[in-house]
Amino acid sequence: MPEPVTSHYIVIGAALFALGLVGFMARRNLIVMFLSTEVMFQGVVVNLVAFARMHNHLEGQAFALFLLVVAAVEAALALGLVVLLHRRKGTLDSEAWAAMRG
Amino acid sequence: MDEQTLRTCGILILLLPLGGAALAGALGRPVLRGRTHWPVILGVLGAVICSFILLGQVRGVEATNSHSVTAVVSVYEWIATGAEAASGAAKWFRVVFLIDPLTCIMLVTVTGVSLLVIIYSRDYMRENGHPERGYERFFAFLGLFVFSMCALVLSGNFLLLYLGWEAVGLCSYLLIGFYYTKPSAAAAAKKAFLVNRIGDFGFGLGILLIYLTFNALDYETVFAMAKAGETASGVPLTEGRFTAIALLLFCGAVGKSAQLPLYVWLPDAMEGPSPVSALIHAATMVTAGVYMVARCGAIFTQSALAMTVVAVVGGVTALYAATIALTQQDMKRVLAYSTISQLGYMFLGVGVFAATSAIFHLYTHAFFKALLFLAAGSLMHGMGGIIDMRQFGGLKRIMPWTCLTFWIGALALAGFPLLSGFWSKDEIIHRAFAHNAILGMIGLVTAVLTAFYTFRMVFRAFHGPQRVPEGVHAHESGAWMLVPLCVLAVGAIGAGYANVEFERGGFLGCFEPGGSFEEFLNPAVIAFERGAGHAVAAADHETEYAGGGHGLMYLSAALAILGIFAAWWLYVKRKGIPNRVANALPEAYDLSYNKYYVDEIYDAAVIRPLRGGGRLAFGIDEYFIDGILWLVTAIPRLLAIMLKSFQGGSLQGYAVTMAAGFAVILLLMLMA
Repeated sequence: MPEPVTSHYIVIGAALFALGLVGFMARRNLIVMFLSTEVMFQGVVVNLVAFARMHNHLEGQAFALFLLVVAAVEAALALGLVVLLHRRKGTLDSEAWAAMRG
Repeated sequence: MDEQTLRTCGILILLLPLGGAALAGALGRPVLRGRTHWPVILGVLGAVICSFILLGQVRGVEATNSHSVTAVVSVYEWIATGAEAASGAAKWFRVVFLIDPLTCIMLVTVTGVSLLVIIYSRDYMRENGHPERGYERFFAFLGLFVFSMCALVLSGNFLLLYLGWEAVGLCSYLLIGFYYTKPSAAAAAKKAFLVNRIGDFGFGLGILLIYLTFNALDYETVFAMAKAGETASGVPLTEGRFTAIALLLFCGAVGKSAQLPLYVWLPDAMEGPSPVSALIHAATMVTAGVYMVARCGAIFTQSALAMTVVAVVGGVTALYAATIALTQQDMKRVLAYSTISQLGYMFLGVGVFAATSAIFHLYTHAFFKALLFLAAGSLMHGMGGIIDMRQFGGLKRIMPWTCLTFWIGALALAGFPLLSGFWSKDEIIHRAFAHNAILGMIGLVTAVLTAFYTFRMVFRAFHGPQRVPEGVHAHESGAWMLVPLCVLAVGAIGAGYANVEFERGGFLGCFEPGGSFEEFLNPAVIAFERGAGHAVAAADHETEYAGGGHGLMYLSAALAILGIFAAWWLYVKRKGIPNRVANALPEAYDLSYNKYYVDEIYDAAVIRPLRGGGRLAFGIDEYFIDGILWLVTAIPRLLAIMLKSFQGGSLQGYAVTMAAGFAVILLLMLMA
């Protein structure tokens, strides 16, 4: 089994990002859409760690830790918003909020 | 005169009523409510006291060459104009008080009558002891009016005069429309405002022309140049220029003082509460025009044509309004036409170089006309708002005090001997005769008509069988209303004696017209004695009386009594005659009853064409101009139609667009 190199990690990150993007565009449930953004986010974090390892730095890894904290906070906020939106319309369908029809 | 006292009093006269009005306006509704009259009463009382102090100061001065009775008190500098700054000497549009005998007399009259009217309003503006709706507003406006009128009278330049002039117009508008929920009151307020605009437009032009001619606006400078007949740089002024200025200023006076042809707003102004009619539309504001013409004597007397116009307009208005008053059924309307007629007398007086007599009549008129309006208001209050003489009669037992005071006012207005109106009106007629016999005759005829229509009202309202409309509990008014009535009644009897001296061999053996009032006032309106080539020397006037020439006085006294007697004969003794006369001369009666159809003529000649023009302009705006704008806006609208599909409002739609955009950018970057 060959030693994993940077490009492997980058491919995994890109795959995660693409999955998240497809999920975000294809699904209409607000919670799932939010989950998809998180998946994209983690794809970026994987990239950060990979490059940090490649350059033998710690900054990228430390930054990844901070990003995780930010993601957690953001998740709390965003889920709160989702709850409020659900209370307003009684549905999680994102199309319910498409009030502006050009 | 002590300048510091003058300045302090002048400022207090303005600020006390204004402060009272502000208090009434700010605290009236939340705090004071039924006590809102107090700040205004106290403020105006302060103004009365200060006015008397000013009067005392001016009276204390002996007019000699070194001492002038005129004091100019500068209060603060207001506006600096570019032209003045460029000329080096920084002259300013200053807030300046001009304090002279004319100012003092006007101030005492205005503040005194205002105080009485405001005290009277305390009860008048209540129903069954409860303040009417808008009680606070009413007193705040009255206070504001006193402030504006005092500013008009005190001002020492044309700019401040114009300010006060417009401010009293505003207060008049607000108070005529006091019952703004009533359509007729709202329409009357609008009419008053618009008709006054016409006059004020001329007035404004007159002031501009004064500035162009004299390059100054303060009275002292302007009048000095006008008397000299040349500007400061020595350029002589033509009579045509004076005529133009004088006629433009007179245009404003015609509007404000309700003379032909702009008098139409005053009868309608009776829609306001009676105290307003008494104060603004009889005693004070409408006399502002007379005051202004008297004040600008230096300009008016330079133009023979302008003086003739003033005298003729005054004389014709006096007669014309009196003929309308003969047939009106609404007591307040009769009084309104009577006011127009009396203002005509004043202009007649000014126009025949008798400004002292005109101001004297203004001063006595303020007392007896305010008294008549307040007494009519007391009657109206007691009758629950009914003022049409066809609906009641013989009220003398129910309202003895109102009846008594109305009688006194009516006698004074009719020019009954020894009451105030007699002395002042007689002087004007006398001077009019000395100037031109036709004008004098107009004065005499009007005097008979005045006596007749006034007592037609008295006899119909208070005498004969008692008649009260169904469901009306007629009652006499309370002390708050009766005390001002009695004070004014004393004034209506006695005010004339300010210009009468007790002297053996005069009228009725002991009265001699022409006295301290005239001597006091003369220095202020001195221009009227010096008019270029038109001087009616004061000495002539003296000798005529002194030579036993009281014939005219006896004649006008006899005519007044004749008018009163005729009214008694027709409305008490032989009640059928008026109807028979009206039936015998239906055209004449209808003409007078319908006020010569002037409102209808104005409607057809002015209002309808203007409204048609308005419709035309509206149509052009609506279809032509808006059409062009629609075409212009069509371009962005077309663009919008093309672009708006990108803003679908769908979240995923945006996400796809964004992702696609990123993809394209990424692709470009990789390919580069």
